[in-house]
Amino acid sequence: MSDIRKAFAGTAALKGVSIALQSGSVHALMGENGAGKSTLMKILAGVHQPDGGAILRDGRQVAFHRPKDALQAGISTVFQELSLLPNLTIAENMFLGREPTTAFGGVDHRRMRREAGKALAELGLALDPGTLISRLSIAERQFVEIAHGIMTDASVFILDEPTAALNAADVEVLNRHIRRLKDEGKAVVYISHRMDEIFAICDTVTVLKDGELVGTRPVAEMTPAALIAMMVGRELTDLFPQRGDAPGPAMLSVEDFRVTERSRPFSLSLRRGEIVALAGLEGQGQQRFVRSLVGQYHPFAGRVTIKDRSLPLPVSPGGGVRRLQAMGVGFVPEDRKEDGLFLGLSVAHNIAAALHSKRSELALAASYHRRIADTMSSLAVKASGPGAAVGTLSGGNQQKVLLGRYLAADIDILLVEEPTRGVDIGAKSEIYRLLRDFARKGGAVLVLSRETVELIGLCDRICVVHNDTIVKEMPAADATEHNILDAALSANGTARTINDSH
Amino acid sequence: MRRLLRIPPAYYVFAVLLLILWVARPNMLNLNVMGIFVRQIVPLGILVLGQLLVMRVRSIDLSGGGVILLINYTISSGVFPGASMIFLIVLALATGLAVGLFNGLMVGVRRASAVIVTLAVGIVLVGFVQYLSSGKPPGDVPGMFGDIYNTKLGPVPTPVIFWVVVSAALSLFLSRTVFGRYVTSVGENVQAAHFSGVPVARTVVLAHTLAGLLAGVSALVQTASIAVGSVRVGLDLPILAVAATILGGVVFGRGEGGVWGPFFGVLSFALLFVVMTTFGVDEPGKLIAQGLIILLAAIFYGVRSRSS
Repeated sequence: MSDIRKAFAGTAALKGVSIALQSGSVHALMGENGAGKSTLMKILAGVHQPDGGAILRDGRQVAFHRPKDALQAGISTVFQELSLLPNLTIAENMFLGREPTTAFGGVDHRRMRREAGKALAELGLALDPGTLISRLSIAERQFVEIAHGIMTDASVFILDEPTAALNAADVEVLNRHIRRLKDEGKAVVYISHRMDEIFAICDTVTVLKDGELVGTRPVAEMTPAALIAMMVGRELTDLFPQRGDAPGPAMLSVEDFRVTERSRPFSLSLRRGEIVALAGLEGQGQQRFVRSLVGQYHPFAGRVTIKDRSLPLPVSPGGGVRRLQAMGVGFVPEDRKEDGLFLGLSVAHNIAAALHSKRSELALAASYHRRIADTMSSLAVKASGPGAAVGTLSGGNQQKVLLGRYLAADIDILLVEEPTRGVDIGAKSEIYRLLRDFARKGGAVLVLSRETVELIGLCDRICVVHNDTIVKEMPAADATEHNILDAALSANGTARTINDSH
Repeated sequence: MRRLLRIPPAYYVFAVLLLILWVARPNMLNLNVMGIFVRQIVPLGILVLGQLLVMRVRSIDLSGGGVILLINYTISSGVFPGASMIFLIVLALATGLAVGLFNGLMVGVRRASAVIVTLAVGIVLVGFVQYLSSGKPPGDVPGMFGDIYNTKLGPVPTPVIFWVVVSAALSLFLSRTVFGRYVTSVGENVQAAHFSGVPVARTVVLAHTLAGLLAGVSALVQTASIAVGSVRVGLDLPILAVAATILGGVVFGRGEGGVWGPFFGVLSFALLFVVMTTFGVDEPGKLIAQGLIILLAAIFYGVRSRSS
């Protein structure tokens, strides 16, 4: 792949990345969350089309318009997201789109089951190929997906975080098969956050950062520390406002909180004037924790106190958001287009939505002209007026409107997911300033973001989350991407034993 | 093109039909004649108000036919002999309210499919009436209903004025209250409504309850319009109500639109009957034309959702 470029909604995800895959070699692809690893592999798998650059296969340029093109060209992918259909059986999933037929043109179920069974047995899996996917555990599903991917007759195999849900024994089985593929002269791309795996099975490692290529090195020349240094290596820019002064009393405290039955308990307190981050690798339970406060998930145990009032757990799924808003807590969801904004409605409606929500249905709707105008001007929302449809604004202005909704509604605790997703650098800086101003005026903010640099720059304190619990807490002033990544990755060992123990 | 597509199709249909009538039979265009035709359509007009309400919160209500039939039967069969008119009216409204509340709880809280729940409720009600009547038509509607129905305010029949007033009240209610904002929010984006603190389930329940109440009102007008009870009355109204609502620019599953678009959707149906009658088209022809208009509405809906 040469000089691949890709942008999503104006934000560059890949800025001219080149990578060469050798047959008979396992190539690790590393980088922080959002570095562009998955995007690069999705281009190779035909899921996304590149905006620029070329894919060369044995020296000839090829183009994949859809996943099937890539599959036919001998590129097989196991994606990070589970892509099995739960209402079909294992065999049906493995042969989806390439079902064998009988002499009469019907689907040859017997052959499908036989071959699927063989593929599962090779991976040491004692599963009936006729089992519905919905009845499997996450780890079993992951394994079926791997079986589906690596049993295909292909010459390039892409494994995007295949071990995220697997325990050590399963990882060993997988590694054996990866070595087999390598011995057969296939090219394998391996994406993982687990250092030990990289050093155990990979030959070459390529590091991406912010959509750019940092470098490609033979694994034999690397040490884990050198690899982390390659992944981090960025200077903090002066995007960020000054940190806050000494924080006040606790506004939100969480004690002995267990996100799931298996996770270890943790405590967290959020004080007046403070911005606290939940950092760590993607999908380690940061979001699940925050969303269990608004009732989306059912936590296993814990006590939550908000401004000296206790919040009974579990919070109701339908009324949780309202209940927290009544207590002065605003939850800003990550996906502003799907979960946050009313794209077709006016800026005014979007900002006033939380204000209206405090009142009874039969009350006359106040116009909130002043409140909306004040919010728009204090947030510097660029729109033709309060009547403009939010969908017509830029990403940064949309995000400001979303924050404005909660700021306008007299909220003093904000739980923010991805405050600057898909927002340009200027708007990012403005949003950081807004959040800091909010904290300085007596608010408290809990931020969750995939961008570690953002968390270090913006926050006062950083809690590193791994395996549904907080594994380390540090002042942001001392935090570096390196020691956050290190805290998360070194927690892997303990996480593994927890996984194994059941 | 975009701009033009944003205007509810009901206005175009209404204008075209009016033009046809004006060219072909200008003498029909006077208040007395039109009043009689429009009066016939008032039960549909009131049922549509409920339909647009539930469709704006991305639901649907197909139980209206059953509600109308049940209320019509209750009033005309004399199950409550000697009951006062007030009692019958309260009973009708309570019946509609209860059915609407049930629909709302099923759709909003239990999250059952709105099409299936309301269709099933409608079928149960129809079956119930058939059981009670054992297939025989019920008796007469108390005369008081017909007397009120036949009054006029100047040249305009009272039912038509009643319809306009109820429509205006609903329009005002939706534009002035917090509930109206909730309806708009839920219709635009359920998730975003939830995360901005809108009580989504309660909004859906309330919309369905109001729709049930309006079905009860519609049933009263329908009953008053016929002197003798029937076991078939009102059964085609729910699908006509859906058609008029779509024609009026309320997009199914999108939560857009106001009250006056569907209002003119209903008026278009009224005009259609006038045009058909004056051209001597019989019942089967009217049915075909009705179907074609529903089809047109569905096609238009397809164009809308692609262009935006």
